[in-house]
Amino acid sequence: MLKSVHYINQFFGQVGGEEMADFEPVLYEGALGCTGIFNSLAGNVEVISTIVCGDNFFASRKEEALERILSMLENVSFDFFVAGPAFNAGRYGIACGEVCRAVQERFAVPAVTSMNEENPGVQLFSKDVYIMRGGKRATFMKQDMEKLVSFSEKIALKQPVLPAVMEGYFPRGVRHEVFLEDLGMKPVMASDRAFEMLLAKLRGGVYQTELPMPALDRVPIAPAVKSLRDVRLALVTSGGIVPRNNPDRIQSCSATKWGKYDISSLASGLPAPEYKTIHAGYDPGEADRNPNVVVPLDAVRRYQSEDRLGEVDEFFYTTVGTGTTQGEAARMGREIAALLHERNIGAVLLTAT
Amino acid sequence: MRLEVGKFFVKDMAFGEKTEFRNGILTICREKAIDIVKEDSHVTEADLHIVRPGDEVRMVPVKEAIEMRYKVSGGVTYPGMTNPIAPAGSGRVHALKGCSLIVVGKHWGCFQDGLIDMSGRYQRYTIYGLMKNLVLVADTDEEFERREQQKKNGALRRAGHRLAEYIGKCLCDLEPEDIETWELEPINRRDPAVQALPSVVYVLLPQTQMEAMGYNTLVYGWDGNHMLPTLLHPNELLDGALVSGSFMPVSSKISSYEHCNNPTVKTINFLGVILSNLNVAMEQKQRSAFMAAQMAKNLGADGAIVAEEGYGNPDVDYIQTIVELEKARIKTVGISNECTGRDGRSQPLVALDSVADALVSTGNVSQYYELPPMKAVIGDLESLSRDGISGGWEGCVRSDGSLVMENNGMFCSDHVSGFSMKTCMEY
Repeated sequence: MLKSVHYINQFFGQVGGEEMADFEPVLYEGALGCTGIFNSLAGNVEVISTIVCGDNFFASRKEEALERILSMLENVSFDFFVAGPAFNAGRYGIACGEVCRAVQERFAVPAVTSMNEENPGVQLFSKDVYIMRGGKRATFMKQDMEKLVSFSEKIALKQPVLPAVMEGYFPRGVRHEVFLEDLGMKPVMASDRAFEMLLAKLRGGVYQTELPMPALDRVPIAPAVKSLRDVRLALVTSGGIVPRNNPDRIQSCSATKWGKYDISSLASGLPAPEYKTIHAGYDPGEADRNPNVVVPLDAVRRYQSEDRLGEVDEFFYTTVGTGTTQGEAARMGREIAALLHERNIGAVLLTAT
Repeated sequence: MRLEVGKFFVKDMAFGEKTEFRNGILTICREKAIDIVKEDSHVTEADLHIVRPGDEVRMVPVKEAIEMRYKVSGGVTYPGMTNPIAPAGSGRVHALKGCSLIVVGKHWGCFQDGLIDMSGRYQRYTIYGLMKNLVLVADTDEEFERREQQKKNGALRRAGHRLAEYIGKCLCDLEPEDIETWELEPINRRDPAVQALPSVVYVLLPQTQMEAMGYNTLVYGWDGNHMLPTLLHPNELLDGALVSGSFMPVSSKISSYEHCNNPTVKTINFLGVILSNLNVAMEQKQRSAFMAAQMAKNLGADGAIVAEEGYGNPDVDYIQTIVELEKARIKTVGISNECTGRDGRSQPLVALDSVADALVSTGNVSQYYELPPMKAVIGDLESLSRDGISGGWEGCVRSDGSLVMENNGMFCSDHVSGFSMKTCMEY
């Protein structure tokens, strides 16, 4: 039997209603309140301890509440963590999400909770925590608990997890390829799927896109640099310009690495063939003949000599943009930006290809 | 326009004295076939193999898949590629079915090459794992690109097409087991009952983004980078007017085999194929999208299916084409793969627009695969880790022959032409 700890609020822990919402977190041995329902439904997992915390206490003293809950768990041995169901209760839902995420990180055990789609906790935590789709009110306790238990057992037993729509959890922003037949669905060729979708669309019927458009992540344009003479400028590129031997082995496609290379001694630009491109997504001819067409150090040096530019960072920063996932690109961007901050860079010349 | 495709179902293949097709058995004269391949003096070494589904064989670096066929009514097979230019789309072609010709590099791979397993867990990832294949494995003296990550693979691609035609020629005087007839009247001469049906176009965006010549999809032998959107009769596609290029990570590739067996073309009732292209500069992307949408609108299309051969940068062309079609009030469905990263958390397409609300997804190029060792390898397993094949990387091949890779390097596995049995789902 796998062991679990269950997080619930003061109401479901039978401490009291809103008047007891400042109740401080307490760890109880065994099942308490609605936890009993969990244990009565579960066959492979048993809740051995219950944490009860008032919703106001958690909302108003989040850091303290989390730290107290985590330290209570230090001496408990458990395989799994479960919270809620929180229905449409906002403070409770957010607490369930916070606690689940923190427990996952600290103890490396999986955590599952349950909420209604209108609960703000869904938006905040669905990327980090499995949240089962639940009802709006506590009248859904039995149904929600059943779903929570069966999915929890699956996770605890490390069985393969099916797509969100099949298991009933909120999508976590993760997309993987699947063969429909592996999911017990009728295998249909892409051309037939497209045709069915088109017919439905032409008839004004219902159709389900296979690739829902994610929300656009727009970056606001930074304010203009007042004077290029008074800032330190750095050169950054996704065009794959590297020293000839590609010392950091940056990949030519689907890059996960970036490099920084000293250019302080290059007075008139990047020389060829000492520098070249390893980018596999464009014709390398021109860039190999003259790497400055991608990283315009030649123009930068000329501007410096004409006193139109101030200081230039002694390094340039480079990676490959082709086939590189948005996630990796964002990570590399954050890493490079952090370094540029440390180096007191005020402007960046970012060149793509 | 009327095209007959005479089908000859291949039960098995063998090497023998004479190249012939009898009682479902395709016999290939190896010596003669290799002579055909070596008509091009740039081919320095060549060998042929036969592989069948279930064989413990792995092929890499695979460059192209071609249907073995012959234009028996006069005219030519794959016009403008290995043959002089000639019209395509009418008459009769005889084709070997249930099989394909696979072209494999003996040593050297490149960005657009890939891998096929004929058995095991990854066999079904590409349709070529599920059919009998005649395999040409060869090397060339194309020194100028030997160490290049981007290769035109010119000599091998042409050799494959010559060989496919040579073998197809043995069907010349035979009576096919089945004849598929593709006939579509001119748009304004159709039966009123047909006219009353919703009118649909297929907008194909083949890979044409390389500015240097020799890498892109060929249209009657013409480099697709140097064209503007145009109207094709679907029969032209089915008769070999398009030949696959050598540029894009291979899971996104539409092989020559798939161009002339395009299942999306075969499925929908048509005004025609709008052949657009994929470009690198924004203005070029916009021009093609505007023109494709204009054509669809003035042909009277109610609906469109758009397919994109590639991912990443060309997603911009793909989404823009869909947006322009929808602006013209044409209900549009897209077919493409996506790139969500190994952890599945990346944005699936480079360009997004909420107007694109009906998309079919055929796979994730960055899905992580773990392949066990395979008894036999045709080609050079090391090419996956050595030559910059997308989906492979330094160290991805282990000494026991097992390997890890990303879908990017699985030959044609996202089958954007429409064969894909994969999709992507949210977890």
